[in-house]
Amino acid sequence: MTGRLAINRLRERLPVDGPAIDRFVARHASPIIEGERATFLYRGDVDDAFVRHRVVGLPDPLTMRRIGESDLWAVTTVLPEGSRVEYQIEIRKGDAYERFNDPLNPWLAHSPMGSSSVCAASGYRVPDWVAPDPEARPGTLIQQVIPSKALRRDQPIHIYLPARFNRAQRYPLLVVHDGTDYLKFAGMKTVLDNLIYRLDVDPLIAVFVPPGDRIKEYANYAPHARFIARELVPALLEGLPVREEPEWRCLMGSSFGGIASLSTAVRYQGFFGSLLLQSASLVFTDIGFDHGGGPAFDPVVKFVNKYRAKPARVVDRIYMTCGTYEPLITANRSMVPVFRHTGTRVHYIEARDGHNWDNWRDRLGDGLSWLFPGPQRFVYE
Amino acid sequence: MTTILLGPQRFTVTVAPTVRSLDVAGPIAMINAGWEEREPDDAELAGHLDGRGVNLRLYQRAVELLSVDHALRAAVLEHRARHEELRAFYRIRLQSAHDALLAVRHRTSRHGGGASADLAAVLALRDVDDWYTYEVARITRETAAYEAISGSAELARHRAEVAETLAGASAVVMAGGHVGILMEALHLFAVDLPADLPVVAWSAGAMAVCDPIVLFHDFAPHGIAADEVHDRGLGRLSGVIAFPHAKRRIRLDDPERMAALIDRFPNHSLVPLDDGTIVRVATGTSALPAGTRVFAPSGIVTTEGAS
Repeated sequence: MTGRLAINRLRERLPVDGPAIDRFVARHASPIIEGERATFLYRGDVDDAFVRHRVVGLPDPLTMRRIGESDLWAVTTVLPEGSRVEYQIEIRKGDAYERFNDPLNPWLAHSPMGSSSVCAASGYRVPDWVAPDPEARPGTLIQQVIPSKALRRDQPIHIYLPARFNRAQRYPLLVVHDGTDYLKFAGMKTVLDNLIYRLDVDPLIAVFVPPGDRIKEYANYAPHARFIARELVPALLEGLPVREEPEWRCLMGSSFGGIASLSTAVRYQGFFGSLLLQSASLVFTDIGFDHGGGPAFDPVVKFVNKYRAKPARVVDRIYMTCGTYEPLITANRSMVPVFRHTGTRVHYIEARDGHNWDNWRDRLGDGLSWLFPGPQRFVYE
Repeated sequence: MTTILLGPQRFTVTVAPTVRSLDVAGPIAMINAGWEEREPDDAELAGHLDGRGVNLRLYQRAVELLSVDHALRAAVLEHRARHEELRAFYRIRLQSAHDALLAVRHRTSRHGGGASADLAAVLALRDVDDWYTYEVARITRETAAYEAISGSAELARHRAEVAETLAGASAVVMAGGHVGILMEALHLFAVDLPADLPVVAWSAGAMAVCDPIVLFHDFAPHGIAADEVHDRGLGRLSGVIAFPHAKRRIRLDDPERMAALIDRFPNHSLVPLDDGTIVRVATGTSALPAGTRVFAPSGIVTTEGAS
C-alpha cells in the first residue's frame, strides 16, 4: 500500500486519455478495494452517476464524480474489513434515470427481487461449504403437497432427507420459511449436504415451505401457525422418522420469515425447541404506533409490541443473526436482551452485511452447527 | 492377553508390522463397524493382514437383522432413544459442573477458601460422570433383558456366528470410525473378546477396548465444551482412556483445559494416540509399559509407566 488511492494517482496524471483509462479499468477490478476503502467506477457518457445501496450509515446515493474531462466516474467510500455490500449503478442522462448492475463487476448476487452487484471488502470470504463438494454425499429433495384446512389450500413443500437416510434413525426437524428461496438463493441443499458431510451439523430432516400470500401469512397469522404446528409437523411425524421431542424441532426464517417463525412459536409455546432468526423484521415502537414501515408492518409491530410488553420463553434456544448495514439492526439488537431475560439461550451474531440472501447463507454454518451440533465428537478415523 | 493400541492408521500405517509381530497363525477377525455402511470396503485393511482377515460384519449384520426382526428393531430404537435422552441430561449437568469448576479456578482466593471450593467443584464434576455411567449401565442392562433381545432367535444365531469366528481367530483388529455405532454393534452382538486373544486397535477401536470411553474435540464448531463420558468400553485396558488424534483435537497447550481433564479422572491413565503411536500392553495386565506417553497438567509427558 502506498497510502494514495489508485483513483487519486490516476487523477494526478490528468489529463488522461481514453487508452490510459482503458488500461486503468483493465488493471483494477471494480470496485477497487484498498485497505478499508472501496472505489466504485463507472464509465459512460452520462450527466450523473451514482452508487445505489441500502447500507445504513452511508449516504444513499453515493454520488460519483467525473475524473477530469473523461467518461470515467468514481466515488470512494469506507468499507471495513470483512464487509460485503450489494449495490447498483444509477445514471442520469438529461431527465432520464436508469439503474443497473455494475458493468465493470461480474460478481452478482441474486434474490427474488432480481440481482445486484457485490462489493466485498478485504477479509470477506465466501464460506468453503457453500460450493458443491464432490466428496459430500448429497441428500435427497422430495416434493410433496400437504392439504391444509388452516390455509384452505394445498401447500407444496420440499423435504430434505440427509445422505445415508435411514429409517432406523430419528432425525431433528428444521422447518424453513421462504423455503424455495432458501433453496434457490442460499443454496441450502448444498449447504446442508456439505455441513452434514463435514460432521459440523447433525443429519437432519429439513422441510422447505414456500409462502402463499407472504406479507399476510408471515405477519403473525393464526392460520399459518396452525398449519405449521397442527398440520405440517404432525404429518411429518407420521410419515418420517422425526424425533418427537420439542427440543429437536426448529423453525427458521429471514426477514418476515423470522416473524413467521417467532409468532408460530409464541402461539404454540413449548412445541418447538429452537428458532433460527435471520434479520427478522422485529420492528416495534416504544410509544405510539409510528413505525415507518408501511401498512405491511402494522401486524408485525402490533405483534412485537405485544411480545415486548409481556415477553415469554417460548423456545429453549434462539440463534439470531443480523447485518450491521441493514435497517433492522437496531430492532434485532434490542430484542436480544428481551429474549434473554425470559431465560431463553440466545446466540446472537452480527455480520458486516445487509438484508440479503448471501448474508443469510453465510450465517447458516454457524447457526445450524450451534442448533444441531454434528457428531464430530463421535468420529475417530 | 496382549492388547496393542495404535495411533490413527490413515497416514502412518503400522497395523501390518504390528500384527506380524504377534507371530500368530490363522485367521484374524476384523471389526470395523465404526465405518458404518463403508464396513464392506475392507480390502485395504485385509491387505495389511496378509489376506488373513475375516470381517465380523457387525454393522451389516445389524442392518440385516433390524430390517427383518421388528420387535428387536423397536427394542434397539428404544434403547437408543433412552441413551440419547440420558446423554442430553448429562450434557446439561456436565456443562454446568464444568463451568463451575472453571469459574472457581478463575476466582481470586485470599483467605483459603479456594482450595476447598476447587475440590468440591472437581468432586461435583466426577459425581456427574458417575451418575451418568451408572445410568448408562442400568439402561444397557435393562435393554439386554428385553424379551425382544434375549428371545430373538435370529440375534442368537448371529451372536453364535460372531462368537464362533472369534473362537477360531488368532487375533482381532478393531478399526476406528463412529465410536457410538461401534459400541452399539459390540453390545448388540455381545462381543466378548477372549482373554487370550491378542487385540490390535486404533482410533475409535482403541477407545472401545479401553474403559471408560471419553468423547472430546476442542475444535468442533459448536457443542458442549467439556469432555464427555460416553460409555464403558470393553475393559481390556481398564482405567485407561484413549485419546486418538490428540494433537489435532485437543488444546494441549492450554494448562487450564488439561488440568480440568486430569483432575476429573485421577485414577486413570490418559493416553494420547497420535500418528505412529504404539502402546503394547502385556498379557494379564492393564498396566502401561514404560515410556508410554500420558497426559499431565502441562500437556504430554513420558512416564515410566507401571510395567
